[in-house]
Amino acid sequence: MVTTTLPAQKDKKLPTSWKNWIGVIPFFIFAILFLLLPSIRLFVGSFTTEGGKFTLDNMAQLFSQRVILDAYKISIQISAITALAGGIFGFMLAYAITVGGLPKPLRTALITFSGVASNFAGVPLAFAFVATLGRTGFITAIMKTYFNMNIYDKGFNLYSFIGLCLTYLYFQFPLMVLIMAPALDGLKKEWKEAAMNLGANNMQYWLKVALPVLLPSILGSMILLFGNAFGAYATAYALTGGALPIVTILIGAQIRGDVLHNPGLGFAMAMGMVVIMAVSLGGYSWLQSRTERWLK
Amino acid sequence: MAYLELKNISKIFGKTTAVEDFNLQVNKGELVSFLGPSGCGKTTTLRMVAGFEIPTGGKIIIDGKDVTNKSPNQRDVGMIFQSYALFPNLTVAGNVGFGLKIAKKPAEEIKKRVVEMLDLIHMPEYGNRYPYQLSGGQQQRVALARALALSPDVLLLDEPLSALDAKIRVSLRAEIRAIQQELGITAIYVTHDQEEALSISDRIVVMYNGHIEQIGTPFQVYNFPETAFVASFIGTLNAFNAEIIDPKTNSIQIGSVQLVTEESIQDRKVGDKLMIAIRPERLSFSSEQKKANIINCQIENITFLGSIVRIEVKTGDTHFFMDTFNNPFLELPKIGETVEITCSRQAVIILNH
Amino acid sequence: MTWLSKIRKVPFWSWFWFVLGVLYFVLPLYATLDFSLRMERDTISLKAYQSAFSDPEFLKTFLYSIFLAAMTIVVSIALVVPTAYWIRLRLPQARRIVEFITLMPFVVPAIILVFGLIRIYSSPFTIPFTSIVLMQPLTNFKVGTNILIIGGYTVLGLPYMYRSVDTGMRTVDVRTLTEAAQSMGANWGTIITKIILPNVRTALLSGALLTFAIVVGEVVLASFLGIPAFGPYLFLLGQHRAYEPAALAFTTFLLTWAAMGIIQLVTGGQSQAAGAH
Repeated sequence: MVTTTLPAQKDKKLPTSWKNWIGVIPFFIFAILFLLLPSIRLFVGSFTTEGGKFTLDNMAQLFSQRVILDAYKISIQISAITALAGGIFGFMLAYAITVGGLPKPLRTALITFSGVASNFAGVPLAFAFVATLGRTGFITAIMKTYFNMNIYDKGFNLYSFIGLCLTYLYFQFPLMVLIMAPALDGLKKEWKEAAMNLGANNMQYWLKVALPVLLPSILGSMILLFGNAFGAYATAYALTGGALPIVTILIGAQIRGDVLHNPGLGFAMAMGMVVIMAVSLGGYSWLQSRTERWLK
Repeated sequence: MAYLELKNISKIFGKTTAVEDFNLQVNKGELVSFLGPSGCGKTTTLRMVAGFEIPTGGKIIIDGKDVTNKSPNQRDVGMIFQSYALFPNLTVAGNVGFGLKIAKKPAEEIKKRVVEMLDLIHMPEYGNRYPYQLSGGQQQRVALARALALSPDVLLLDEPLSALDAKIRVSLRAEIRAIQQELGITAIYVTHDQEEALSISDRIVVMYNGHIEQIGTPFQVYNFPETAFVASFIGTLNAFNAEIIDPKTNSIQIGSVQLVTEESIQDRKVGDKLMIAIRPERLSFSSEQKKANIINCQIENITFLGSIVRIEVKTGDTHFFMDTFNNPFLELPKIGETVEITCSRQAVIILNH
Repeated sequence: MTWLSKIRKVPFWSWFWFVLGVLYFVLPLYATLDFSLRMERDTISLKAYQSAFSDPEFLKTFLYSIFLAAMTIVVSIALVVPTAYWIRLRLPQARRIVEFITLMPFVVPAIILVFGLIRIYSSPFTIPFTSIVLMQPLTNFKVGTNILIIGGYTVLGLPYMYRSVDTGMRTVDVRTLTEAAQSMGANWGTIITKIILPNVRTALLSGALLTFAIVVGEVVLASFLGIPAFGPYLFLLGQHRAYEPAALAFTTFLLTWAAMGIIQLVTGGQSQAAGAH
């Protein structure tokens, strides 16, 4: 019988010589070229006047210019609404396929579909919704034929705020399903049994144990959904053609041609958006780590 | 009258019979263990008492009340889980007081009871900690306090120590037993560890394949096993196939060895086959004291186990183990040497009844 | 148990939400399919598909996007695999930084990224405070623009590729594998080709498919950088035609589904979401 000894691993202190950093240099060079430099350009630019001098004026204008404030307002509204609606709908679906007891094949199907749907954003999604709820869309036609109701006459318009919300939901709630299904799986069966053993009914268990445990995850996911919607461009542009002035559309217009008449302001808008996205991601990460601590 | 009674309990899952023909009467204040290998049905039976499974047949009666069809939250039983199952979002105090809160007891009363329970498990300063800040052993103690806070009729423990380190297991099982006796609470303890069952139980129910093999005190179950399974599961054992030589003198033959047993085999015939067992510690060197049975054999192997020395011997084709106390000043025979070992008639136990 | 009793065992609300979810998923897809089949008046036909696929522009842009996707996948793998491996083996200290970098694309969505990329690379590279020109703007050159977009796409796909490869390496425990191989005398070449790569095949496939899905459908970077890719083509088509875009949209859906399906099969259930674009 041959015995082999592997070198002792855990106790060996890794040499911290500079040579060890060679291997990650290509990656860092790439990150600098394609991520860091562009970000710095935007950052610096947001504090620069057209003449090239330092200024805080652009930042101030973020909060004073009507156009910009409106854009942020609409973006925040859409993101918040789809995050909330998508979050709730997604959670209920995730619940149905985990704790709710639906058969395993249905769960697999839903998870696959959620993966597809959450990746399906952009131009094709816009087209799909036009085919569904556009003026000659499928649902529009059904409403007309079977329910004698012309939704466009009633004021509905796909190419508007509400239409965009409905379209965004298509990738928002699957994202929620994908995040919450594993979280719901993490609810230990024994917790429910222990709660019942101590006299609680199903509702009390959910209110006092399950939901509190899941809350950081739910909140974190909704925050992620918020960021997700906030940063979307292609879907909105394909659907509304730039008519709805959300922040991303405004930035897009700014890139093509200086609609704000102040390049620095464009950069400032971009920075503002980055801040919102960073806060969103940070919030999600922090809340996820709290959940992990409990669901270990 | 028994405090807890399981009458003719059976449980069938689809095509599998998990438990069958289970009859048990437990007296108030008794700690009864369900002992057996994985899959023997012990946990299933416990869960039926708790209400997490409904028996396919039979009745469960606690303190005179038929609880067979009652849901778990309507029974007065406390359950301890192998994985502790403490609620991660509540503090230790929150966990311990959970049942009382559900029962809508006044805050003052809850507070008092929580303090009482934390004292009972010797963790009075831990009220504000969260489960993730506690070790496994501490979590299990809190789980115990949580279950006992409601003063349940019966305490159910499902392999509570299996997830813990060996040293903690030993100290915690003593603590659990002490608390159980102090409170005089009736308890059922499921385990696959026979040392655990032997050390803390008033009685043990040995289970195998969904059936009860034997019910008895630890002493009875160890020294007088009634079936081959019980004999082999509890402690180490030498088990043999034997043949009857002479029923009138209780003589039997194993391979080339002749032995006499204490038990009567008068009603059997010559040549009948039997299963017999001899505990290793009942064998000794005949140089110390000669007993009824004498066997000449050769030493095959000597294993030092700490307080016990286990010696493997061979005679003809038959191997067996002999346990003798470790004595640093006693010279043991060498491997290959021939020795004479002996055991009494009572040491030869007959297994098939 | 019979089907009916199995169904009754599940609470009503679970079915309710499930059916609602399925409806929301399926209706738009069905509507798209239906619309795409109605190009010929009063009959169902594949005319829209024929028309769409026979458009020379379609083939050109689609193949170009596939080319870009392939390049992006190659660059991604070449970048991510050595880095992930190196970090696991030699430089755990860099893990935090690298993971932070791979999360950046979430914080810097496509529109912002392209904004920055354009502003930096469409002006000449000068040494600061002088007027010495080091290089003409990248966007002046076709190759330059290609480099730019492949770089941009790699950034977009970075989180998924890295996470996939990193998880794959962790599952397989490349560290122990490497040490075992070394103790048996293998050199680095053998280790990488015979031990590491085969074991992270699944992760690479998963990451590659996800990158493919992202690149082929990508519109923001492509249109702002003036690249003749499939995304901008599809968008333009939507301005002028009705049925063909629907046909292509449905085809895109099928492709995405195929990619995700393969990933599911290959990884056994852990899928990643690419989020909105």
